[in-house]
Amino acid sequence: MKFPRLSERVLAFGVCLFLLAATSCAAAQEPAKGGVFRYAAIDEAPTLDQHVVTSDLATTIAQHIFEGLYTFDANYTPVPMLAESTDVQEDGKLVVIKLREGVKFHNGKELDAEDVVASLNRWGKFGTRGPVLFEHIAKLEADSKYVVKIYFKEPFAPWQNLLAFINGGPVIYPKEVVEKAEAKPIPETEYIGTGPYKFVERNPGRYILLARFDDYKGLVGPADGYAGERIAYFDEIRFIPVPDVGTRVNGVKAGDYDYAEQIPGDLFESLKSDSSVKTIVNQGCIQGFIFFNSKDGILKDNYKLRQAILVATKMDMVLRAAIGPEELWDANGSFMPEVTPWYSKAGLEKYNRGDVELAKKLAKEAGYNGEKITFMVSSSYKMHYDSCMVIAKQLSEAGFNVDLQIYDWATLVSKRSDPEQWDMFFTHHGFVPDPILFTFMSDTYPGWWATEKKASLKKPFIETMDQSKRIEIWGKIQELIYEEVPVAKTGDIYMYDIYSPKVQGLSEMSLIWPKLWGLWFK
Amino acid sequence: MIPSLFLASIIVFSFIHFIPGDPAAVMLGDMATPEQVQQLREALGLDRPVYVQYVRWLSGVLRGDLGNSIFFHQPVTRVIASRAETSVFIALISMALIALIGIPIGVLSAVKYNSWLDQILSGLSMFFASVPTFWLGLNLMFIFAVMLRWFPSSGFPSVIESGDWGNLRYLILPCLTLAAPNSALIIRLTRSSMLDVIREDHVRTARAKGLPEWKIILKHVFRNALISIVSALGFTFVALVSGTVVTETVFSLPGIGRLVVESILRRDYPVIQGIILVIVLLYMFINLLVDLSYAFLDPRIKYS
Repeated sequence: MKFPRLSERVLAFGVCLFLLAATSCAAAQEPAKGGVFRYAAIDEAPTLDQHVVTSDLATTIAQHIFEGLYTFDANYTPVPMLAESTDVQEDGKLVVIKLREGVKFHNGKELDAEDVVASLNRWGKFGTRGPVLFEHIAKLEADSKYVVKIYFKEPFAPWQNLLAFINGGPVIYPKEVVEKAEAKPIPETEYIGTGPYKFVERNPGRYILLARFDDYKGLVGPADGYAGERIAYFDEIRFIPVPDVGTRVNGVKAGDYDYAEQIPGDLFESLKSDSSVKTIVNQGCIQGFIFFNSKDGILKDNYKLRQAILVATKMDMVLRAAIGPEELWDANGSFMPEVTPWYSKAGLEKYNRGDVELAKKLAKEAGYNGEKITFMVSSSYKMHYDSCMVIAKQLSEAGFNVDLQIYDWATLVSKRSDPEQWDMFFTHHGFVPDPILFTFMSDTYPGWWATEKKASLKKPFIETMDQSKRIEIWGKIQELIYEEVPVAKTGDIYMYDIYSPKVQGLSEMSLIWPKLWGLWFK
Repeated sequence: MIPSLFLASIIVFSFIHFIPGDPAAVMLGDMATPEQVQQLREALGLDRPVYVQYVRWLSGVLRGDLGNSIFFHQPVTRVIASRAETSVFIALISMALIALIGIPIGVLSAVKYNSWLDQILSGLSMFFASVPTFWLGLNLMFIFAVMLRWFPSSGFPSVIESGDWGNLRYLILPCLTLAAPNSALIIRLTRSSMLDVIREDHVRTARAKGLPEWKIILKHVFRNALISIVSALGFTFVALVSGTVVTETVFSLPGIGRLVVESILRRDYPVIQGIILVIVLLYMFINLLVDLSYAFLDPRIKYS
């Protein structure tokens, strides 16, 4: 027997080592169940009852426990979730929804049409966004064990988007739970949903604990946005309130947390080049909004004066000061981001001007004589405060007498409901898949934009079932916004999070609310 | 004691209800309409006159029921109890560190008055007294948790619930952060109190009688200086239980201090009222203990 030469033996040994390493690498990349995922959140969620609360953190947690009839795919198109199929009849005045069979709640009961009807009715009556849909519904009924029928008073195009949007949205609870609940949030003992994780406990100040629901019956097929399969690899998920950003960052670096949300822009570059953490940018951008008072005060119906204020602002400077790196913001005046089919350039010639001379000219034409303009902002959100510091300076340079009033968030929310107390206030708005979900589209949201022109465009916008027609009307509404200026947008702001390199399965960008199904530990 | 508690409860109740802000609006978020906020206000009983709410709350307190947290939807006693564990452990460990570091160094500094050792110790205590706790905390966290990985960076799993006393390691960095400035203050107080006594006639007499120096320092000087030190330690303990907001925030600890601030921002009235009541009671209790300790430390003081 002839032995191979030394060099051949070394080569063969090397190849074996390489193959072994490659195999172990591949094994390490294979999804495996197990482990406790620790999510460092910026705060505590007020309640997880999605019918009544619109906190993003509450939705981030609750989406693992509760599900709705529909959800969004990666293109933010509504697709069935607990629904199996949908039949739109009578030109959009009747919607017949067939439910998936065999879906179990966390208490072991099977989901049926009675649960859906009870949940939707409660959401319609007491939910934050429910009335937007329910004012167009004539009747809602369980036709059989797995069929729900929705009768509309007239065609209402955004119905599916509203049913798919889980934030302040129509998640499905067991009938017995919602029948007991009214306006008060559902108690923790009755957080019973159909999601891949079930609620275990909340320890105030320490964590909210979820555990894998082994009887979960989800969708099949590859994950696509929030749609597709939802595989729960982690045994448990702990959402831990960590309010200090330095602690969230150090905690991930030290291995005490696996994921930390909402890290400020000034750390972005250094964290991107830090091998102990990975960064992930949130695709669902938020937007800074300045609301104008349409009910009272100097700006009530003086659209020219509002336009003067708008053209005085240079939003890219505002965003640079408030957010930092250009990768995390886009000075985009379209109320819907460029990635959506709703993107429109209507009215954008008035956005991001920073034209002091034009502002002064318009203000003069509007009859402005240096009267005080009360501008409210909250110091509870650094981005709000930083943005308003720049905006107030720009307005002051354009000759406006701005009285910047700084409050904590609770005080601002209380004051803005009184039209006599303010002229402008600053807030931010989360990503919405349909413009009807913008707060300013409601006539009763503080700012109270309810002009005839708005009503004349809003009616066909919600009634037209043709999507291309709706997109065209939305362009006209945006043009009207730049004419009447009920609200001014600073731009698109992309938040980012960090996570431990041992977490696998995350995409390049996260969706609106980070989802933790489909992730596993290396 | 009872009139003080009653007065404190009226003041706190009035103040927090008169500041603007509505817990229902905070809970429902930015998208809620005024009608929805009003619905929730009614469901929570916040639409009733303030005096009616106060009488309801007071009658509950007399029955041992502090009400339910608006934010957490749990009994206030449960919310406070879960936070009290952290605060009490922090206070006890920090107090031990403060006493063990502050008192011996203060005594040494006084005994070696004006020496190079005294100068160095005084300089160090001035430095630690003026270092911001968030800066010290974040640096300790970076060195000992991120770089060396000797201690956890943040959080505190319950010892009582888990029965795992090893969880106390989560409190080492926060307690060091709190002990540093407070020890520095106790060093300075011990030193100055000792120096006040050391010059008194009875100490000179003790020396003239030929007593050993260590006996003079411990028995005649330290014991007399102890009254002001014990008073300071008593109030430091209450402050550690109720007001370590910055350290609790930096180390993400579920303590009473953070709960107070967060509850004020959320306008969670029942929790604020409950905590203030507990803190006032604690102050009174510690004050009583400190007063009683005077009689033990100084035989001239007698309570009839």
